Amino acid sequence: MTRIKNARRSFLIAAATVCAGLAVAAPARAQSQDELFDPDAIQELRLTINTRDLRDLRANFEKDTYYTADVQWRNIRVRSAGVRSRGGASRNPLKLGLRVDFDRYVTGQKFLGLKSIVLKNLWQDGSMMHERIAMAFFARMGQPASRQSFCRLYINNELQGLYVIVESVDNSYLDRRLGEHAGYLYSYQFRGPFHGEYLGEDFAPYKERFQPQSHEKEGDTKLYLPIHDWLREMNEPDGAAWRRRVEQYIDLEQFMTHVAIEGFLAEDDGVLGVNGMNNFFLYRLPDSTRHRFLPWDKDGAFLVIDYSIFQRAHENLIFQRAYAIPDLRELYFQVLETAARSALEDGWLEAEVMRVAELVAPVVEQDTRKPFSTEAFYESVEFMKEFAQLRSKLVLQQVAEARRRR
Amino acid sequence: MKQKHFALGVAAYALLTIASPVAGQDVPPPAVVVQPESKHPEKSAAEGAKPPEQQPEKQTEKKAKKSEQDPGFRWTDHPSLRLGPGTHVDFRARLQGNLQHSDVSLSEEEGDSSIDVARRRVGIDGEILDLFDYQVEAELGVRRDPWRDVYLNYKQYGFAEVLVGKFKVPFSLEENTSATRLDFIHRSRIATLLAPGRDLGVMVHGRVLPGGWLRYELGVFNEDGSNARTYNPDRVHGERTLAGRALVQPFRSTKSLASDLAVGVSFTTSELPEGVSDLRGRTELDAPFYLPAVVVSGQRQRLGFEARWRPGPFSLKSEYIRLSDERLGQSVDNADLSPFVSSGWYVSGTWAVTGENKADGLESPRRPIFQGGFGAVELALRVERIRFGSGADDPTASNAPRSEVILGNADRVYTMGVNWYANRWIKVQANLVRNTIALPDQGPMPSQSGYWSRIVRFQFSM
Repeated sequence: MTRIKNARRSFLIAAATVCAGLAVAAPARAQSQDELFDPDAIQELRLTINTRDLRDLRANFEKDTYYTADVQWRNIRVRSAGVRSRGGASRNPLKLGLRVDFDRYVTGQKFLGLKSIVLKNLWQDGSMMHERIAMAFFARMGQPASRQSFCRLYINNELQGLYVIVESVDNSYLDRRLGEHAGYLYSYQFRGPFHGEYLGEDFAPYKERFQPQSHEKEGDTKLYLPIHDWLREMNEPDGAAWRRRVEQYIDLEQFMTHVAIEGFLAEDDGVLGVNGMNNFFLYRLPDSTRHRFLPWDKDGAFLVIDYSIFQRAHENLIFQRAYAIPDLRELYFQVLETAARSALEDGWLEAEVMRVAELVAPVVEQDTRKPFSTEAFYESVEFMKEFAQLRSKLVLQQVAEARRRR
Repeated sequence: MKQKHFALGVAAYALLTIASPVAGQDVPPPAVVVQPESKHPEKSAAEGAKPPEQQPEKQTEKKAKKSEQDPGFRWTDHPSLRLGPGTHVDFRARLQGNLQHSDVSLSEEEGDSSIDVARRRVGIDGEILDLFDYQVEAELGVRRDPWRDVYLNYKQYGFAEVLVGKFKVPFSLEENTSATRLDFIHRSRIATLLAPGRDLGVMVHGRVLPGGWLRYELGVFNEDGSNARTYNPDRVHGERTLAGRALVQPFRSTKSLASDLAVGVSFTTSELPEGVSDLRGRTELDAPFYLPAVVVSGQRQRLGFEARWRPGPFSLKSEYIRLSDERLGQSVDNADLSPFVSSGWYVSGTWAVTGENKADGLESPRRPIFQGGFGAVELALRVERIRFGSGADDPTASNAPRSEVILGNADRVYTMGVNWYANRWIKVQANLVRNTIALPDQGPMPSQSGYWSRIVRFQFSM
């Protein structure tokens, strides 16, 4: 009898231990990428950087110099990550735009399976929601897009303001969106106006603009010859074989889809950007010479409500040539129409604007480093609501008009 | 490349033609010069003075001294201008060229083989009124800081001589051994990378205690030597440096085999400004295997132990060096981090196959070439290891500038050598070197940790 009691007690102790273990383990297990990129939450991210490094980082914000930082999110602390200033026009010493590479110094180190993240400072966007809503819309349209979430960023326990945590375009991004990452990934670097012109035989101008994010150690021929060939073929005279030749190097249908979504979003700093092509990644599929576009950095979206669906379309050589082909032109129109209807469907775009505005407003009010007033934020939110209400109708009108003209 | 081969060929021919007539002349046997103990800072305390029983007969010495003191020009080992009793100017020249081949690429230009002119030095040294030693030596063909030893030594009192100028900081047996007298083509990694090297300073040194069995050197230097220093302004090195070295020869006055046994300890301490440490890991052929990004601040301290014993034709030598850079206030939250430690050791041995007494030096072989002999032949073996940081043993280690545990890297080196001392001017050395890099991804061959190098050195010195 005593033996049975002892056995029962042992069983209860063991069961309690297992339950306690699970209870302890549960929070850790719950801390996943999905939770980090929870669209309904404001995360709290803390960076610890040596005072001298932080001073240097602010003083040299225009350089890409890395500094050591510990990164804390909830009960996860990643030590010795590499942090550097990032961005183009948004770079500034007050509210730093940052890139965090977890494996910069510690080989193989990851944070929730991520090798790196970008902390966008929302410096050029009064509503502070362009990036987040534009990327969500790309995803809604079935295109690959970085996951994002808002956060309060603290550096050395001092609030830096409202930031967006952006998932980097890297191998895990490619795995999640395209199911593999064996191809060649390039980040487009803005080096002055470029509209798809042939850049010549020398690889140097290609290397300047298309920075490899994978296969970095491979030779120039392997890395740049397909891009060179794409631009050369694309700039050849029209002919029956033009499309077949060019489509060896670029997925023209995906390109037109990408440009149409940017057009709907009134993105002024994208592929048909004000300063030429900008803000995209290029991915070449494995064992192929064919490339596709991936969206990046959409804080230049939502410029004006009546933004033309042909804004600077005549400047971009790739778009011009593709638009001249009837089925690609029709695809462009169809994607614009789909985008317009999708934004309207159940009032998705307006609801998203309202939801995000409500989520971030308290942090925006605390954000003393933002380059505009809190009143300006609320005005920008009003504009975003108006955009959500009117943009679809205007785009559908523009498409109908364009069809009539043809 | 062809030009370099041609140049080396011409140089080798020139050396032989210079050496041959001199050797061919009816030159009397080299006068035995009693080496003033502190005359040459490169000759370490252990290398410098010979025990009394090893010195030549006093009569011979007197005669030699008298003839030496007569004013005029002499040329025995080297040209010398005698200006009066105890005052002379000796003219020195040294040329060393290496032929080297390695499994790793030595340079983009030359691939895995190269010819390297290691040293082209000229200078003068001598004495003034038997009260001072001096030396002025420069490296030819070097634009930045061509001066090597430039010093004046006041030697009136053997127990407390005073040396002023630019000379080697008293730390490390091998670093303070002249490059012409090394057992191997290259010094050990610890002597090259962790010992300070030359700097401007003032030093008191001498022999004390009965029989002079304790030799000491204590000096203050402008900075902590040129060995680790880079010309990269972003990297920091030790500033004002205090250095000391004590060497004990407990059996110096005995006639036993142990009379040459010497053991020593040395230290340096310097202020270290805040910045990235200037230390670097490089192999003997200058291939980098560790370039730290570690931010340091506080004190730089070195501690060294050395031992040497040369019984008959054999020698055994060993050193251990530990260099520690403090990291005060250098963590990400401004707290102190554990010091950045670099350390290493070597053990080496030689055997003069032709029977010369190692303690007397093999520079003047018993049967020189061109004088009916073949010169002296010596075999040498060295095992060594140098390590920066903690190595890969600690899973939390990384190469982050502010990492608590520094990953670093390490190199283990085996060197096998043959030295041929043709005559007092010409020496040829051949070394076979096996490097094993602990973390090869930081080394010259990321795909493999071990590789071989083969080096031959031709040396002319007078």
